[in-house]
Amino acid sequence: MSIVPKETIEVIAQSIGVYNLSSDVALALAPDVEYRVREIMQEAIKCMRHAHRTVLTANDVDSALNLRNVEPIYGFASGDSLRFKRASGLKDLYYIDDKDVELRNVIETPLPKAPLDTSVAVHWLAIEGVQPAIPENAPVDAVSDGRRSEYREDGISVDIRLPVKHVLSKELQLYFDKIRELTVSRSNSTVFKQALLSLAMDSGLHPLVPYFTYFISEEVVTRSLKNFSLLFALMRVARSLLRNPHIHIEPYLHQMMPSVITCLVSKRLGNRFSDNHWDLRNFVADLIASICTRFGHVYQNLQSRVTRTLLHAFLDPTKSLSQHYGAIQGLAALGPSVVHLLILPNLELYLKFLEPEMLLEKQKNEMKRHEAWRVYGALQCAAGLCVYDRLKTVLLRPPKQSRWESNRKGMIVFPSKRKASMDNLMLQPPVKKMATLGPMGVMPVNSMAVNMQGPSGGFSTPVEGPRAGVSMLRHLQNEKMLRREVSNQALKTSTVLAQAWKEDAEGGHLLASLYELFGESMFSFTRKSELYFFL
Amino acid sequence: MDELQVVEFVATYLKKKGFSEAENALQAEIQRNKSSNNTNPIDILNDPELSKFFRTFSESEDGPARYQDEYSKLRSWTYSSLDLYKHELLHVLYPVFIHCFMDLVAKGHIQEARTFFNNFREDHEMMHLRDLQKLEGVLSPSHLEEMEFAHSLRHSKVNIKICQVLYLFLFTSLHQNTYIVKKSNHCQSFYQYSYELLLQYLHKTQSTKMLGIINERINFQVSPGQPSSISDDAEIVTLIGSNQDAANQINQKEVHWGLLEDSLENRLEKTGLISDSEKAEGENKEAEIDENKKRPVEGGKQGASIKKLKKDKAINATAKTSRLEANTVSTAPRVKPDLALPVMPTEVEQSILEDLRNRVHLSSAALPSVSFYTFINTHNGLNCASISQDGSLVAGGFSDSSLKVWDMAKLGQQAVSSGLQGENDTTPREDIIGPNGRKRSYTLYQGHSGPVYSASFSPLGDFILSSSADTTIRLWSTKLNANLVCYKGHNYPVWDVQFNPQGHYFASSSHDRTARIWSMDRIQPLRIMAGHLSDVDCVRWHINCNYIATGSSDKTVRLWDVSSGECVRIFIGHRSMILSLAMSPDGRYMASGDEDGTIMMWDLASGRCVTPLMGHTSCVWTLAYSCEGSLLASGSADCTVKLWDVTTSTKVLKTEEKSGTNRLRSLKTLPTKSTPVYSLQFSRRNLLFAAGALSKTS
Repeated sequence: MSIVPKETIEVIAQSIGVYNLSSDVALALAPDVEYRVREIMQEAIKCMRHAHRTVLTANDVDSALNLRNVEPIYGFASGDSLRFKRASGLKDLYYIDDKDVELRNVIETPLPKAPLDTSVAVHWLAIEGVQPAIPENAPVDAVSDGRRSEYREDGISVDIRLPVKHVLSKELQLYFDKIRELTVSRSNSTVFKQALLSLAMDSGLHPLVPYFTYFISEEVVTRSLKNFSLLFALMRVARSLLRNPHIHIEPYLHQMMPSVITCLVSKRLGNRFSDNHWDLRNFVADLIASICTRFGHVYQNLQSRVTRTLLHAFLDPTKSLSQHYGAIQGLAALGPSVVHLLILPNLELYLKFLEPEMLLEKQKNEMKRHEAWRVYGALQCAAGLCVYDRLKTVLLRPPKQSRWESNRKGMIVFPSKRKASMDNLMLQPPVKKMATLGPMGVMPVNSMAVNMQGPSGGFSTPVEGPRAGVSMLRHLQNEKMLRREVSNQALKTSTVLAQAWKEDAEGGHLLASLYELFGESMFSFTRKSELYFFL
Repeated sequence: MDELQVVEFVATYLKKKGFSEAENALQAEIQRNKSSNNTNPIDILNDPELSKFFRTFSESEDGPARYQDEYSKLRSWTYSSLDLYKHELLHVLYPVFIHCFMDLVAKGHIQEARTFFNNFREDHEMMHLRDLQKLEGVLSPSHLEEMEFAHSLRHSKVNIKICQVLYLFLFTSLHQNTYIVKKSNHCQSFYQYSYELLLQYLHKTQSTKMLGIINERINFQVSPGQPSSISDDAEIVTLIGSNQDAANQINQKEVHWGLLEDSLENRLEKTGLISDSEKAEGENKEAEIDENKKRPVEGGKQGASIKKLKKDKAINATAKTSRLEANTVSTAPRVKPDLALPVMPTEVEQSILEDLRNRVHLSSAALPSVSFYTFINTHNGLNCASISQDGSLVAGGFSDSSLKVWDMAKLGQQAVSSGLQGENDTTPREDIIGPNGRKRSYTLYQGHSGPVYSASFSPLGDFILSSSADTTIRLWSTKLNANLVCYKGHNYPVWDVQFNPQGHYFASSSHDRTARIWSMDRIQPLRIMAGHLSDVDCVRWHINCNYIATGSSDKTVRLWDVSSGECVRIFIGHRSMILSLAMSPDGRYMASGDEDGTIMMWDLASGRCVTPLMGHTSCVWTLAYSCEGSLLASGSADCTVKLWDVTTSTKVLKTEEKSGTNRLRSLKTLPTKSTPVYSLQFSRRNLLFAAGALSKTS
């Protein structure tokens, strides 16, 4: 009947010493008790409101009792709201946690600090209706998102935007969970390969991208640097996502890049010797390169940031060799020009640093030596590729061209006994003409020019022409003197040519110096036919 | 009367037998007689004799189950009725419901009453939650007598507006006696209105209990025209003790809401109109100076002020036109003060005039700057906050009976000196342990013996009043830092105290259900306003000092004439306790905020609600009109300050009369971090000050 059961009345009666309360009396009292309690609460709520609060405190109840001329209940006065605990085993019985306190402890504890005195702080909540972004004010976004109402003068007002709610369908959630599970636990299975394929192809995965990027970064950064296979699996997932043409992953790249780069230049990847972390590094290097090529135009500073990070790792002698290896691989993957710009200038110095590590006598630790050789290999590879690229622009013409080149070679070799200046003079006219007539695309001057013009045409040819000539000149094992002479003269011819000459001069120099550093192995990066020129 | 009784018996007999044609004819006849006697048109149904008859009639089957049965039938019938009539019929349900419950309790069927209550409680929770919570505790007939809310319910009738063309028809054609019967029949066959529907239903289904209750407790105000929409239902929500008619009669009284005849603003306008253009130019400069003056705390705002200057110029053009409008409006009525008001010293007058001249004009396009005073380390003890007219003083009333006043001008210095102290920590901090408390950042006023619930600065800031749970009001001097007078008169905690806009007089409101008017030089109240049915929670002066408004826990706002002490208006419409009031500076409107977060704007002259402003989600602690009355600021427990556009709110009503929709005209919501806003105050230059205690988020 009443929410106060008669048992409660009986208990209260017993607690004040009335033991023979008849159940009729209790039954009659119960509703009245409820009514009185409600009455007190009504008054207490009034007191609470007038104290400008929305939480009822024990003080309010005391004030309410006071209003009704009832003696207040002692022992509960507290400025804070009470914390009730649920009695175990009972559904709706609560009590206030009131621990027994040892009196001695209370006496012995040092006096607590006096509470801070009340004070008033002033700030601008708004200046002409606009809230300044100062720490005293609530962050503007949090609120304005939900209930922004724009006012217009005509009175037809109110544009309320609801916050965009991100809803993930059940299927996508399942998909995500499945992929995650596969990645973490079964990355060797064929199912995982299928999954990667699906990640790279499926079109409806865009809502999951933030989750995947978070998953990857979270896993890499927090947990699994020790777990090699998981790392590899994660990177594969990342690659698949990046390959997916239907996904706009750009907004999430910044979240993904750190973890990917971590996998490249981390000190340790995996915790066993058997883990082939070199593979992973190579893989990731390729991945980074592909990211840079694909998103470089969107993120202007993407590549520069990546290279800076990698260069930093490469040039820091305190970093371990495996980190160096990763950095070199990454830089190499970014293209020969990067290698040319960033690695080659430091190459000589670095090799000096590396050399003692590689020698059996100086480095006893076989593991370290192995690493050093790895790094050496990577460097060699990078430098070689760079040279190859340099030469490729020169020599790797379509078959026709190489034929022409060989012709040319023959021609040049023939008068090799002549003075270089003569040579130069001989070459000069066609070069000049090519340079001037190039844009027209017509080269009737000599057969060589026509040959060369054949497939490509366009503006690039005039640059290639002189290059070919000059590099051949150089490749005739001419002395430096001659080279300089040639290039000097060429510089005078035109600015376009100057650039080409310079590059080529460098290219030649490059090969030479690389040869000094790496020895013969460098030549494996050039074709036999080309090599022929050099030797 | 005997004759009438016979007639009524016949009527009920006809009803009983279902002779509706004959019954209607009879009814019309009776109504005609009644209305010619200038009484209520259809109070045949309200006649106690009749209801008695019904009750005896149904005594034979007087089972508690019948209430439940009949109520549920009525309910399902109401819900299945046509949409057009549903609203009106739904209004009937609630009073029927509570009276059923109380009848059951009164007859001692407590158990049944409980189950009945719980069964149908959900229907009404949305509208009447607080009443239901009160009634829920009623568990014995004696409680009914004791509890005033129930008591007043039992002894008064509920007014329900219900439409019927019949009334109007009869009224206009009083002289054509002969045709009335026919016409009324005719009319009824055409318009099946709610009222008729209800009666017919009740008769058909023999719901004698329901009919009894409706007859006994509900007073139908039959109104002509189409069934009204939801928005019109405000009046039935509040069940007040006094008769609705009495309230209506009260609201017929004349209210002179005009401004005072010789107010400073008035004088300013007279001089202002002459040199308006001149003034506008000067205004820019002064506004900037003003701006700099008012930013003692923050230094580096030069860029903002320059920007502001430009903006001001742009706004000025619009401001000028709007001011002209304002002038035409405010030139309307002028009244003489009924009280002998104090005379202001000339230098003060000059400074006020200066302020008025430099006032920034606010509108929906030019929102005010808000300076926020946050009380920190209050330990849940701050009960109220108050800001002086110029914002230089802030007072806080605490639950430890103390009143603390901060001087904002000194606050900046304090920060500097304490910063210096931090550097040389070896010296003891004298400002904290100083015995005479002189070096504290605030002035402590001790004297009360109970929580301080309200504080109010005098218009010039030289006095402060505080009201407390110890039933007293104390007057303190901010110059002498001492208690001057203790006013004893209330018998219960004094919830609110408020200085007169001109000073000298003040009003207080208390748990003893009265509001009182005092003057500073007398320790006895000058007037006692009694009439509220529950605590008087807040009190505000009308701008012309002739009236005070009080808001109460009985969910009404009343306007009292100060000189006569009479209640001149009752504003009914709120659904919970009134917490805050504000009077518009032109004296025409009043705003009131309640516990649920609803703000209502009232037209004092008509006593009607102009517009409800919905938006807050929790108690509206404070309201303030800007000085020219174009904006209303509200502060709430939901940690926001909201700015409302008042001018369009009122304009829309004038042009469209009833748009029906409650449009939000909230201009801006300014959230604080986690500080409920206790107090708002517009300075004379229209800078808005707000105060609140930082509450921990837990």
